[in-house]
Amino acid sequence: MPKASIIITTHNRPHLLPRAIASACASGQDVEVIVVDDASSDETASICQSTRGITYVRLDRNQGVAGARNVGLVASRGEYISFLDDDDVRLRNSLDEQIEALRQTPEAMLCYAKAIPGVASGKKSEPYPSHCPQGDIFWKLLVRNFIPCGTVVVRRACVSRVGLLDDSIPGIDDWDIWIRIVELFPVIAMEMPVIIWRQSTPASAQGSSRTVELIALGRRRFRDHWMKLPRAVNATRAERHEAWRAFSRNIAEHLTWETLSALRQGQARRGLTSAQTLLRLHPGALLSVLRRWTRASTIITLMTAGTGRNDLANAKTRFKQIRSDAPRQ
Amino acid sequence: MPRVSVIIPTHDRPQLLTRAVDSARASAVDVEIIVVDDASSDGTAAACAQLTGIKYVRAERNQGVAGARNIGIFESTAKYVAFLDDDDLRLPGSLDMQADLLDQHQNAGFVCGAMIMADQDYQPSGEIVRARHAGGDAFWELLELDFPVMPLCTLIRKDCFSKVGLLNRQVTSIDDWDIFTRIAELYSVIVVDEPVGVYRQPTPFSGQGSSARAIQLQLATRHQLKLLRLPRAAAAPLKQRREIRRRAIRRVSENLVWNAGAKYLPQGRFSPALANVAVALRLDPLIAVRPNGYKTVAKKLIEKMGVR
Repeated sequence: MPKASIIITTHNRPHLLPRAIASACASGQDVEVIVVDDASSDETASICQSTRGITYVRLDRNQGVAGARNVGLVASRGEYISFLDDDDVRLRNSLDEQIEALRQTPEAMLCYAKAIPGVASGKKSEPYPSHCPQGDIFWKLLVRNFIPCGTVVVRRACVSRVGLLDDSIPGIDDWDIWIRIVELFPVIAMEMPVIIWRQSTPASAQGSSRTVELIALGRRRFRDHWMKLPRAVNATRAERHEAWRAFSRNIAEHLTWETLSALRQGQARRGLTSAQTLLRLHPGALLSVLRRWTRASTIITLMTAGTGRNDLANAKTRFKQIRSDAPRQ
Repeated sequence: MPRVSVIIPTHDRPQLLTRAVDSARASAVDVEIIVVDDASSDGTAAACAQLTGIKYVRAERNQGVAGARNIGIFESTAKYVAFLDDDDLRLPGSLDMQADLLDQHQNAGFVCGAMIMADQDYQPSGEIVRARHAGGDAFWELLELDFPVMPLCTLIRKDCFSKVGLLNRQVTSIDDWDIFTRIAELYSVIVVDEPVGVYRQPTPFSGQGSSARAIQLQLATRHQLKLLRLPRAAAAPLKQRREIRRRAIRRVSENLVWNAGAKYLPQGRFSPALANVAVALRLDPLIAVRPNGYKTVAKKLIEKMGVR
């Protein structure tokens, strides 16, 4: 039986997949690579069938990322499990290092690390998140998902204890399962990059258009599920309230950013939707965001980034760092 | 690698569980029994520690039946999986018989047997419920709600889940109908007449499954719209899809009226009877004026009296 399983879910991206598969194979000694093809309609199947050393699972009916990851979980046999997106790249031997860290900390169920945001042009910037908290991170993770999905290694045993991924919340299914894990178990974090992200560029606009939708989904999840977890229920009212406030503040920042970046790209409608959502959800939070944004360092970063259009993704990453470095009250 | 996995989700019923596990053990030679404890708060964990030769998995937070079954599929290492509720029983050798059939028919997704109805003390009532289908392609019948498949009587090829996905947690209580329809879209179905399980029927007064049944049927008619979007159904002519929809709604509302008139009213239970009729009228307002609506009810009533 293999020591670890890397589950790669893919849908109609045969040009990126081989790179992800090769990187997964080289990330550890005894690793089983499972490619779950979520009903691709192109040459993905033939590429996978000609790739040796992988387990190829083909869904005939599209299940979405979470559904496909669940099918990957069922097909996996490794004691440690990691997910990788088809457009990401795992760094060499990174999986073994994370497994070793988990071995040394038997009580921890999950290990995460940093991701290098690589712009599609190949340019690299600072790893995210700039700071990786560990131990009990339940309240921190409720506020914002700072765990890059591809960097996570979990023990097989914890999947059964918290349940599989929820396929009704596309886009935040990973965040949801991490929350269920960290509610019960401590985690370890490694201050080193283990994957390279193919970050969305202004041209590809991947994901960003869904921001407003995701935020609505996240808010519902927060209130209806995460706050109903025994850990949150047993906490004091003040703690819950503070978590909700920090969560809302983070959303407000995100929406402000989204509005500005949309306007800069000349997408007036997208900007308007974001601004509307922002004002509807958090009329008060806008002020605090603006106050924080007027700090000199933020403005300088944004201005230098604003000189060239292609640097927008870079600026976004830098902005994220500023945010994660900012002390939380 | 074991041949068959029996997945038993359980929640706060340790007194019944042992019996279900014993029946599962006798149902096949090479069987792996997976008990998924869905966040029980009582002595279930202790009761399971007494049982030997089972794989005990505990979900720390309640997952619902579909979620617990999915955990069971995740833990299973066998080629075929069967779901067993903690209060039902499997008949000795039944899984081996069904596994043989799946071995012989490589394109079959699941095999469905008959079940023996029993009371709360597992005493057979004499009634045996057989699948109303000849086998083969059962997609349209399942989609139309014309072919009820009980998970208790079914053995599923595990490969199916990697083609159609796992159970849908969003449709609690009809997740079984959902997955069997999705499997039948791509695979053929085997039906056998032999009984394979014992179903512990809820007592008329246990409350379980009275108005819950009406809600379940209502949910099913709503979920059918989603299943009609499965590629094979979507490719059918519009006329055929409309006909399937119409027949399913009629079947459900007739069933509801039948339940109200023949089950609840004679017992003097007016509120579930009313709930059933209300749902039926909402789904199919014309049922009140259509003679056919009563014809089926009358026919069923005569059948029932004839049996007595």
